[in-house]
Parts: sequence; C-alpha cells; structure tokens
Amino acid sequence: MKAGRVPGLDVTAPLADNAERIVRLRIEELYAFHPAVLDVAEVEALHDMRIAAKRLRYVLEVTAEPCFGPYARTAAKRTRDLQDLIGDIHDCDVALPRVRAAAEARRAADAEALLDRADADARDLDPGLAAGLPHAEEHRGLATLEAYLVARRGLLYGRFLALWEQLGREGFRARLEFALAERPQAFTPDSPDSNVGVPHAP
Amino acid sequence: MAKAQPIPGLRADTPYARAAAATVRVRADELFAQAEGVLDTERIERVHGMRVATRRLRAVLEIYAPCFPKDEGRAVLRDVKRLADALGARRDPDVQLEGLERFSASLTPEDGPGLQAFMDEIRAEQRAGNETLSAALAALDRDGLRRRVDALVASAEERAGAPGAAAAEAEDEPDHGASYPEAPPADDVAGEPA
Repeated sequence: MKAGRVPGLDVTAPLADNAERIVRLRIEELYAFHPAVLDVAEVEALHDMRIAAKRLRYVLEVTAEPCFGPYARTAAKRTRDLQDLIGDIHDCDVALPRVRAAAEARRAADAEALLDRADADARDLDPGLAAGLPHAEEHRGLATLEAYLVARRGLLYGRFLALWEQLGREGFRARLEFALAERPQAFTPDSPDSNVGVPHAP
Repeated sequence: MAKAQPIPGLRADTPYARAAAATVRVRADELFAQAEGVLDTERIERVHGMRVATRRLRAVLEIYAPCFPKDEGRAVLRDVKRLADALGARRDPDVQLEGLERFSASLTPEDGPGLQAFMDEIRAEQRAGNETLSAALAALDRDGLRRRVDALVASAEERAGAPGAAAAEAEDEPDHGASYPEAPPADDVAGEPA
C-alpha cells in the first residue's frame, strides 16, 4: 500500500502545521480500511491497515509531544498497540501457507515413496507398505503447528475486533483530530506546570 | 529495542526544515549505533533494534522529504529501505524460530520431528538472511550512507537558515509538497515504512 502524497507542505512553515497535515492524511488512510477489516476473510485489507498504522505511529512518535495536544501521545500508543496486534495476525497469515506447503510436500514425497515400494504389476496397493514412510514422524508436528496457527489467528483476530471497537468507543479518531488542532504551550520557568494542550489559534 | 530518543529543541513552532535536520541527525545516530554485532545469530535483539532504527529513520526521511534535495533524498531513502529489507531477511526467520522453539517446548515428543524439520528450513533462511545482511552492511560503508545522510542534514539546515531561498525553490517546484517521493523506482521507496 503506497502512502498518499501530502498536499500543501511548506518547508518554511512551522513543524506543527506540516505535521498536522501529514497526520490528518495518515488517519484517513488508516480508516480507509474500515469496514473491510471487519470481515475475517479480508486478509489484504488487514495487512494494509497494519502498514497504515505503522505510518501513523511513526509520524506521531516524532511529532505528538512537541506539536499537539496530550491525546496525541495516547494515540501514538494506541496506534502502536494496533500495529503490534495486526502484526501478530500477519505473522500467522505468513506462516500458515508455509506450514501447509511443508506438510503437503512431505505427504507428496511419502505417496511417491509408497508407490515406489509397490510392485510394478501390483493390482492394488498393499496397506502394509505404508508403515515407516520417510516423513511419517513429521506429519503430526506439522499438523499440530497448523492447527495452532489457525486457532491463534482466530483468537488474535477476535482481539483485534475488540481493540478496534474500543478505539471507536474511546473516540480515538475524533480525539486525535482535536489534539492536532491544539498546540502545546511553551515550557518556561514561569509556567513549569503549564505544558498542556491549548486550542490552536484559528 | 532502544526507545526513540527525544529530539532536542523540537517545538511546534520549529521551522520545518530545522526540525528535519535535528530529527534526521538523531535518528541516523541511532541507526549507526545499532550496527555492531547484528550478524550474531545468538543475539537476535540486535537485528531487531537496528531494524526498528531503520524504520524510524525511514519514517522521518519521508515525513521531512520536502526539506531535502529531491534526488539525494530519494536515493538515501531507497538505500535505507534496502537496509531495512536486508534486516527483515534476517529478522523474520529469527522471530519464527523464537516462536517455534517456544511452541516446541510445550508439546509432546511425538510432535518434535515435524517441528524440527520445519525449523531446519527456517534456520537455512536465517543463514541466507545473515548473508544478505552482511552484504547490506558492507554496502552501507561502500556507498557512504552516513555521509549522504549528513549531507541531507546540512542541506536542510541551510534551507532553514535561508527562508527566502527555500520559499523561492518551493515556488519553482509546486508539486514537491509531499512527504513521499513521487514516481518511486521499481523497488518502491514509498512502500511500507518497515
């Protein structure tokens, strides 16, 4: 998934004004995968959402504290949590086809070995020849691993749905967008406790 | 994994180009500080730390792209992406092996042979990934990545110090208002920042 171009960036403008433009676009990109990601079969959308979350996370990591209101820092953590969770799901999605391919390759090799054991003129395959095939001991572990990955994927996806719903309830997007319009007050000796977000002058 | 260092003096009203110079300098320092010992497959956290550092550097190069000369910025970004890919070629099997070892330890002996056979395949990938990473680290020195990143920092500082010149350049190049290079090459420097 390619990141969208951010229009209107100005090299001579303050950091916060440019960062705000970038973050707003990255938020839009993250939410572009909703509601597709609510479908468990939409693996690609979830993968793209992970990348969008990563982009949002890293821009917030640099800019949340100096540029925006307090919720931006919270949002950076939420975004990291989201990225990590989808990353774990992605790991299952990457591993599963590999495990299945490894299992299938061994089954195919065993079938071929079994056929080699049969007489060329045999009318049927003797079941006794199936004992002690080259990969016989390996099938079980691979089947167990596949079952584990399927189950883990299901569990993590459930957690993703819960986290996504929680972000909605928490007002993640609205609060982050509000925080983008805030600018932290300068920290000065006269106001040691006042480094809090204040609304950005219109 | 090392936490991202705060950027000294970064404020909301810091000029964009000055922020670019300050941020990229710190993130580049973090990356090059992580390079030692990454080829040691017994210390997999080092690869992870360096990979995260490349992600952070890549992210800030993208965020501040308009502050750098277009061609030089794009070339550095492409090389950082290549380094990240090489680190990924090692890191991905590292993570899989770690997970499989943990998984394997909790199963019955009957599951062992299948898991070990699969882990052998991943170990072969880890060795290949280490060779890829070794070549990428050699290319870092050969291609002078550090020197070129420093040149980007110097260029951004120069822009920050001469706002008139920066504004004039921006007028000459109205489409450059983007955090990502346009029309990336085949290896897609504007792809996933990871």
